[in-house]
Amino acid sequence: MFRSLLIANRGEVAVRVARAAKALGIRSVGVVSEADLGASWIEELDSVVCIGGSAPKDSYLRVDRIIQAALQSECAAVHPGWGFLAENSVFAALCAQHGLTFVGPGPGTMERLGLKIPAKRAMGAAGLKGIPGSDGLLDTVEEARAVAARIGYPVIVKADAGGGGRGMRRCYKESELGQAWSQASAEAEAAFGNGALYMESYLTGGRHIEIQILADEYGHAIHLGDRECSIQRNHQKLIEESPSPALTAKERDELGLLAARAAASIGYAGAGTVEFLRAPNGELYFMEMNARLQVEHPVTEMVSGVDLVAHQLHIAANEPLTLKQEDVKLQGASIECRINAEDPSQGFRPTPGKLTAFELPCDVGPGTLRIDTHLRAGDEVPPYYDSLIAKVIAHGETRDAAIETMLACLKGATIEGVKTTIPLHIAVLQSKEFQSGEYDTASIPGWSPAATAS
Amino acid sequence: MQSTLDLILRKREGISELRAPEVGLFTCALNSGALLGPGQLAGVILIAGKSVALRVPPGVHGRVSNKPRPRTQAPVGYGDVLYELLPVDGAGAEQLLDEAADNESGLILKSNQSGRFYHRPSPDEPAYANPGDELVDGQAIGLLEIMKTFSQITYSPAGGLPSRAKLVRFLTTDGGEIREGDGLIEVEPA
Repeated sequence: MFRSLLIANRGEVAVRVARAAKALGIRSVGVVSEADLGASWIEELDSVVCIGGSAPKDSYLRVDRIIQAALQSECAAVHPGWGFLAENSVFAALCAQHGLTFVGPGPGTMERLGLKIPAKRAMGAAGLKGIPGSDGLLDTVEEARAVAARIGYPVIVKADAGGGGRGMRRCYKESELGQAWSQASAEAEAAFGNGALYMESYLTGGRHIEIQILADEYGHAIHLGDRECSIQRNHQKLIEESPSPALTAKERDELGLLAARAAASIGYAGAGTVEFLRAPNGELYFMEMNARLQVEHPVTEMVSGVDLVAHQLHIAANEPLTLKQEDVKLQGASIECRINAEDPSQGFRPTPGKLTAFELPCDVGPGTLRIDTHLRAGDEVPPYYDSLIAKVIAHGETRDAAIETMLACLKGATIEGVKTTIPLHIAVLQSKEFQSGEYDTASIPGWSPAATAS
Repeated sequence: MQSTLDLILRKREGISELRAPEVGLFTCALNSGALLGPGQLAGVILIAGKSVALRVPPGVHGRVSNKPRPRTQAPVGYGDVLYELLPVDGAGAEQLLDEAADNESGLILKSNQSGRFYHRPSPDEPAYANPGDELVDGQAIGLLEIMKTFSQITYSPAGGLPSRAKLVRFLTTDGGEIREGDGLIEVEPA
């Protein structure tokens, strides 16, 4: 195992990886922007190196400075977390060139998967059917118009380098395409340093279901069940749960085995997620494979009892995956709510600021709670980065128990100084649609912005 | 990578600090007492095995007051203080230009949020508006990025601004950071 690990990320992500490293006796080295130098979460790291200014392109995306920081602080490996450079194959290749182990799949596999078009081709060859759309990347908005005319509106333009809902715009008629195109491109350029776009049919009323896999360097791949992520706003996941209420146990096993086999067939190593869209007719389409850990990985950890970050580190250290498919026992139900510093009554306007109070009760039942956050009362939520301030994960023996536990925690929360998405979460969790499990990506059940506008 | 880089200058309580412009191993540091002037080389930073000379930026004169780091090839991060300079009597009167305070007496459209303000929809497209252009209610003037979300900023004749206005100038650079309450553009009645 590595003696020292550089964590090329910030906030909640850095804290999550640092805790796993600590449990394995690995020294963690963080990289921070000038805006994060005074943040309290950097105490979770054994040391930090400042790598530049507040804008991500001046710091958390500065590949050269991050690699130099890893080398001069004697790290053997680099964990990219999720977001920023996690799916940047050039970064993975440069790490290897400098003798650093990149915690994730190799640059070749990542390049095929991190860019959505090669991914669709590779996974198609492995037996996973994709959504109708453009054959490849689109160079101009005119090309996009032609594809949309062929497959029919509504369509969705997506960033080739995308993830986390950034660089995506949906569009229902031709007149909207111009603006959707330039906004998606600008967002993709800012978030991933790559503004290339492609297009797919926008299937409404579908459900977003994904499979968590773990694969080692020796061709052994397993799955750890599914996650349902259909509660979304502007393609940003808000609530995730495992298992999905839409799949039977048999469907889940079959989909999981298919995903694990596809991952093994392309030589994937590490933790990864295969995302599917379940159309209203029950058809499952492959959407993309995320060659990294996901924000919502804790729901899988709660139902499986497996520490995914620890396994990532063992796999990166060339150890074989000792966990076998039959050892994976999924128990109970788990739900995650992403608490963002956004004002749901004002069109989800981001609300950076100082957290004057920040309490989420953990001692409520009937289930158990896990809270992943990098913040505490008195901390500043800077305007330069992601608006996520905490993830609340509830686990119960049944789905109802998990919902009840989550509601008890959210209703007892005291967060002041920034507005949060908690009112939205409570409304969704109390809705009939969510409680019955009958929901999809088209709408947010229980939530009508007009009813809560002040 | 360039072979020479300027040190970053920060002024703090009468002391000029020269800070590292890159992450790397800092070596060949000057001793305390050394006199520094603009353009002078003041050490080397090793970045991925390459040597990059560090240069004193324009307008800086002073005497190094801190001791060098105890080891050669000391690892430094971006913005780490490498030199603290005390002023030198008579030597080069303070040439430092404090940022000219912007005269914001005209009609100003202010931002009600903090973030990053872009003048154009994407880097290779023309600006939404240029000085001299006429602005009407609802016309796009820029793009605001907050927490990676982009939204268009439009002209709105609220707070005493005219309903038809002429854009005099932008008060921020393209892509510059803004704080809530900062002026975005100055206008005059059209």
